[in-house]
Amino acid sequence: MENTSQDIRQLNEKIHQASAFVDLLNLELGKAIVGQKYMVERLLIGLLAQGHVLLEGVPGLAKTLSIKSLSSAINGKFSRIQFTPDLLPADVVGTMIYNQQRNEFMVRKGPIFANFILADEINRAPAKVQSALLEAMQEKQITIGDTTFKLEEPFLVLATQNPIEQEGTYMLPEAQVDRFMLKVVIGYPTKEEERLIIRQNLNPEGMSKIQPIISPEDILNARKLVREVYMDEKIERYILDIVFATRNPEEYKLSKLKPLISYGGSPRASINLALASKAYAFMKRRGYVIPEDVRNVCFDVMRHRVGLTYEAEAENVTAENILSEILNAVEVP
Amino acid sequence: MAVLVAFPYAAKAQNYFQVDAKPDSNHIRIGEQVNINLSARVELGALKGAAFKVIFPIVPDSFNHIEVVDKGALDTSKSTDAVSFFSRTITVTSFDSGRWEIPPMKFEVFSITDGSYDSVFTEPFFLDVNTVQVDTTKAFKPIKNVEEVPFNLLDFLKDYWWAILIGVGVIGGIIALVIWNNKRKNKPVEVPKKPEITPYQLAMNGLMKLKQDQAWIHTDSKTYYTTLTDVLRLYFEQQFKIAALEQTSAELLQNIKPVTVLNQQKDQLRALLTLSDLAKFAKFEPTPQELEDSLQKAIGIVEWTKAAAQNAEAKENAGDNPEQNNN
Repeated sequence: MENTSQDIRQLNEKIHQASAFVDLLNLELGKAIVGQKYMVERLLIGLLAQGHVLLEGVPGLAKTLSIKSLSSAINGKFSRIQFTPDLLPADVVGTMIYNQQRNEFMVRKGPIFANFILADEINRAPAKVQSALLEAMQEKQITIGDTTFKLEEPFLVLATQNPIEQEGTYMLPEAQVDRFMLKVVIGYPTKEEERLIIRQNLNPEGMSKIQPIISPEDILNARKLVREVYMDEKIERYILDIVFATRNPEEYKLSKLKPLISYGGSPRASINLALASKAYAFMKRRGYVIPEDVRNVCFDVMRHRVGLTYEAEAENVTAENILSEILNAVEVP
Repeated sequence: MAVLVAFPYAAKAQNYFQVDAKPDSNHIRIGEQVNINLSARVELGALKGAAFKVIFPIVPDSFNHIEVVDKGALDTSKSTDAVSFFSRTITVTSFDSGRWEIPPMKFEVFSITDGSYDSVFTEPFFLDVNTVQVDTTKAFKPIKNVEEVPFNLLDFLKDYWWAILIGVGVIGGIIALVIWNNKRKNKPVEVPKKPEITPYQLAMNGLMKLKQDQAWIHTDSKTYYTTLTDVLRLYFEQQFKIAALEQTSAELLQNIKPVTVLNQQKDQLRALLTLSDLAKFAKFEPTPQELEDSLQKAIGIVEWTKAAAQNAEAKENAGDNPEQNNN
């Protein structure tokens, strides 16, 4: 059924009210996390759009603190898995153990049974373990023995990759990386932010404790509303133009990019770009998507979905460079 | 000279038809060539106007140790009104030493008028063919090597005139091509003319058309705002050289700041772009007053930036002509 002007107006008002928690959440998280607003914003996009986030950044950038704080603010269950080369799939998903008293096998659930998972340094574990996690992310259920367990919603995985120390790591294959809705690259805080971080950490009273702001149910309701956010056909075409420009740059007067791109964004890229745009519009308390929303999430949705050729790598051309060229060439509706 | 009389008009006058065979020389070395001139002389007066034909002797290719090398063409150039003179030269040689006789050769004069004829024989003569004197007292000399024929430009030109002609043609063609190409390159580059219609005029034309058509009444607000903002974006792109068509509303507001002074017009632009985004992407239906106001705002923005644009253009022109600037 097509939305009328009245429907969108009502939806806008509804979302305006329903999204009020976003500001509260940001305020609460701001008590513990200094700077890294961008990372927190992307975590919320992932949470609202039912996507998972791959985070790339050097150690010590408050990745664990961010997701732990988010979990506390939503009153969710948090779990951290440190990926190591000797980790086994059972260490992640759980296993059957023998109970001598009862003389039977019992299920022992793994750390993946939580609302918020921090998969730290995912590229340090072998492919078997990575696959176990990624399958769980996709299917949102785990089978241990003969029993299948649904994972509790909301379920958000924040996986981290360390861009340095690549020795002894297992790089995620393109098909696996594609399962993450967003790949966020985070940098160091500013000098002023870091000064505040020092003060906060050295405070004799300890760090501020995050209070629950909303419940997981509220997040589930918000997710439903995110899907309802109105996306005009003009925006849909804009999203498609961006994704298709990564596949056929020559059709967008970007022939120079053709030798630099080995493969472009998949249909999953279009879906995720649309979903993330809707989530961003929701966070901006709007019931409709505007081109700014698409532009804002574009880099994080697309950077791990554009394959670079050897030529591009030789010339130090990054996916971000390519996406910038595309965004500067595709006409905004 | 033996004469057989048969010609009715000249029964007593054998002298009217005289023939002769005379060599250049009677002595040749073996293999050397000699010309023998065969000639016939007919006095026309004796024939009393009768039409006649002189038949030269048939000379075989070889006879009596003599080889005929060449048989020349008949020459009648020495004839006069009174006398018909025929001559022909044959070239002979011999590869046998000795004294060889050139036998008498039969000439015939044939009357076409009545079919009668007369014939005369030449006098025989001898040809002495001598061998080369060899001094047998001296030692034999080795056979000489093949000698290179000295290069002769004339011979070369005769043999290869066609190749030289083609070569000259090709070189000439290449030279012509190079000259033409150089001329083409040196041709002054045509400076693209500035569009006769300025971005300001183009934008105003677009906005005035919307006004005249009362587009806010006759078209839906989404189409109306799409056209309106497209006119404005194109104007900003052409006038201020910013990629306005590829920028979002927020980016446009941000990027237009450094290129022009909008002052209070910036708020008008922000309001206009916000309203247009609502109409385009949220099916928002502005009131007729808002729709008309948007057009007025767009006209106001274009008018406001016109002066800034003209200043920028004047600066650009001054930059293009530094000499004029200095003056």
